Amino acid sequence: MQSMLRYVLAILVFGFSFLRLEAQCPKRPDSGTVVQDALTVSSVNGALNAELTMMHSVDDAGYTHYCYNYATSKGDVESPTLRLNPGDRLLLDVKDRIETDDSAGMMEMPATPGKVCGDGGMMMLSSTNVHFHGLNVPPICHQDDVLTTLLQPGKPAFQFNIQIPKNEPPGLYWYHPHVHGFTEFQVNGGAAGALIVEGMEKFHPEVAGLKERVFVIRQQYLVPWVPGPYQLTINYQVAASPSFPSPIIDMKPNEKQFWRVANATIQDFMPLQVWFNGKPQKLQLIALDGYPLPQSRFEETILIPPAGRAEFIVQAPPQNNEAIFIALGYSTGPTGNPDLEQQLGRIQVSGGEEEAAETKQETNADEPATQASMKSIKFAELEKQKPTTERKLYFSEEFGGTNGPIQFYITVDGQKQKVFEANEKPAITTQVGAVEDWTIENHALETHAFHIHQIHFKVLEVDGKPVSDQDLRDTIEVPFWEGPGHPYHSFKARFDFRDPTIAGTFVFHCHILLHEDLGMMHKILVLPK
Amino acid sequence: MTISFKSWLPRLTAVLVGLCILSGVAVGANKPHYLITNDDVPPPFATDVTVYTVDANGFLKLKTKLPTGGIGIGGGYFAANRVNVLNSGNAECIYVSQATSADIVGVVVRTLAIGGSARGSKNDEGKSNGIGLAMNAHYVYASFTDSSTIGTFQLLPGCKIKFVADITVAGLQGGVIDGMAVHGSIMVATYGDGSIESFNISAGVPVPNGDEQNSTGSRGGNTYPSGVDITQDGHYVIFGDTATSTVVEVSDISSGKLTPTVVYHLGNGISSSNILLSPDETLLYISNTQGDKITAAFFDKSTGKLSKGCVSGSLRGYVTDWSYLGSLALGETTGTGGTVYVAEFGQPSSIAEIKVTSAGGKCTLKEAPNSPVSDPNSPGLLSIGAFPPRPF
Repeated sequence: MQSMLRYVLAILVFGFSFLRLEAQCPKRPDSGTVVQDALTVSSVNGALNAELTMMHSVDDAGYTHYCYNYATSKGDVESPTLRLNPGDRLLLDVKDRIETDDSAGMMEMPATPGKVCGDGGMMMLSSTNVHFHGLNVPPICHQDDVLTTLLQPGKPAFQFNIQIPKNEPPGLYWYHPHVHGFTEFQVNGGAAGALIVEGMEKFHPEVAGLKERVFVIRQQYLVPWVPGPYQLTINYQVAASPSFPSPIIDMKPNEKQFWRVANATIQDFMPLQVWFNGKPQKLQLIALDGYPLPQSRFEETILIPPAGRAEFIVQAPPQNNEAIFIALGYSTGPTGNPDLEQQLGRIQVSGGEEEAAETKQETNADEPATQASMKSIKFAELEKQKPTTERKLYFSEEFGGTNGPIQFYITVDGQKQKVFEANEKPAITTQVGAVEDWTIENHALETHAFHIHQIHFKVLEVDGKPVSDQDLRDTIEVPFWEGPGHPYHSFKARFDFRDPTIAGTFVFHCHILLHEDLGMMHKILVLPK
Repeated sequence: MTISFKSWLPRLTAVLVGLCILSGVAVGANKPHYLITNDDVPPPFATDVTVYTVDANGFLKLKTKLPTGGIGIGGGYFAANRVNVLNSGNAECIYVSQATSADIVGVVVRTLAIGGSARGSKNDEGKSNGIGLAMNAHYVYASFTDSSTIGTFQLLPGCKIKFVADITVAGLQGGVIDGMAVHGSIMVATYGDGSIESFNISAGVPVPNGDEQNSTGSRGGNTYPSGVDITQDGHYVIFGDTATSTVVEVSDISSGKLTPTVVYHLGNGISSSNILLSPDETLLYISNTQGDKITAAFFDKSTGKLSKGCVSGSLRGYVTDWSYLGSLALGETTGTGGTVYVAEFGQPSSIAEIKVTSAGGKCTLKEAPNSPVSDPNSPGLLSIGAFPPRPF
């Protein structure tokens, strides 16, 4: 209840603090314009050095922006895409320059007692940090630690110093703030960017040479106490047709492009489709959550939960055809937020004709022999490992008013339902070397998105039935419970704690960010061997 | 011709009764018939109430918006009734709570002018989840859901009020106060942790009756008493539960203390945080607060037992225009109430009109063709009230 109170206070006070602020964030694209990819900042000679400044402002329509500003010779840009190779080092300096508000002190929360990383102090609306979502890197200070790392306004830059593991799966990751209690505000404001680990073409040669697009889908609300639907954006351009002109995605006739799409929304489950000729097209799915599929597969609809990513090949229609990129509506359950159908972009086909490429409808069994082996990346052949432990966890909620459920829980079966507190003991303790099978059920009347830091997990079963595609994920949807007389929806997955570099304390939680902020999260401690 | 006493007494009685009825009808006819919303406008804007006239068919027509001089929050607990209506003798008042400004405002029904306002102690806060109200002819009680305190306010002429005192309350597991209802000298409250408690309010300020307990439903898990109503004779107290289906609990309070509740599972409507007995106490209306329907259950006021009744269809605008259902009010003060109104939480909000029929052990709940009626003044409507109110 206390966390609920803090959150509502934050809404009440911070929701209107913008009235006194001047613009700090770059102007975002106008509606109906061509969608541009974010600026790319790539590693050079094994290292990527960059500085991001977290700032805060409000646009003319009243939307609060949070921005990771990156300085260029032409001025600041937001949330550059960071590109590194496996084995490279990311040296990311982050400064917090969110303007404080006189009343911000009301929303303080104590940080994790004991350890301090960064500036320390109380967790506030103007505090920030960075989570490198999906990266399989250590949960320690200056790397991917969200429990003790805290940056405060006006302090010197804090450096994240992360070596991308040499066996890190190539793919799309993303970075975003993760200050408990306040994450939603900053991500809702747009503080999220893509991070790409290079090398997908080594595992999927079919993407080699294709034009690559990186689309970051974000979400923003104007009035936080109304539970959606909220406005979607694609690379910061509002996607709200027909109220606004649709964003334009340029393609050549018949052109194949490699789309890397991150769901950086605060809560939206997005079944993605590309339509032309009056029907959804087959999309060649290459990777999910930054992990290449062993074999690409063709799907009409690719569901990405909040924080999930999908990488797929899209083929444009021939000349003189219309096409659209769309997120279908998704039912999140009786108490979930409405995720309505929304056109994300209109595919504008123009320019010279691309040579029509034959779309492979089969798996990539005939790919070149030079293709890298899936055995060379993390979590390879996890399905062959024997689990050392089995656990069951479940999502549940108590719902007493419009401010959402009274409490949001994720509970290890057999333990007492409780919300996350910074000073809590880990709900799960395991040890480096463990391989565990977890079943996660949803006892709530809304869909949740399970996420664990530091590792991917291999999906084995959904609703008690083995799945044919045992994908490696770091975030996955768990559909809502239909109510009395219906079974709980669930998934079972294999969690790999063998890598000694992930020893330490980190978290698992629902990636609907309101839920995370309100405590649907707990710690896991991986003891060193 | 002489008239014997025996022969003219019944006639005189009949005439007097007739005069009384006619007089009552005349008084009733003179009373305005309003539906009132607490618009609960969040900061930085000032909040207000919206008043609708109710026509003979139960249809609503916007009459006026009345600024109340404070600030709301635009949401909160379903079971905190933010509007209470007094119809006692010459006292015709509407009381509304203002969650951010933490005060209670009295409105004179006849003039729709502010009578007065008062706030509780400096500790009394409800800006996270609202301030609920319950009242008798002498006091209005305010449940401050942040501080988990109950403030007692004395009713004064002209719809003015005066703060008397507050008490701090808590559920057995530490839950904060949620719903509240008053009958005569008894107040019954629910807490967010599934516990319930009654108080003696014969001296004004509530004194615990020593009967705090976890409800039977909450002991079974996943169902928590929220909204409260009490029968006209004070025999039974009824709890609408926050649950994953329609769950209502009933406690016999005829001894002056709560007895263990009896749990009724009344259908698949999602949750049941707001409830309201019909004037004739044959039906219990249940707002399926996280769903899109209204449920009615048959109530036997002699035994306190509930049985399944009827469910409305999906109310128009769910998800697209509004997200939650709030409190209930009735179009008539007799029988089934004729029309059930329910607050629809959206931006802007609206009020659904549902026509009730009940005969031969069957009932129907049907949304009126012109329903819902927009409340353009509320970005988060949860509480409505009707004047004149139900007689108990």
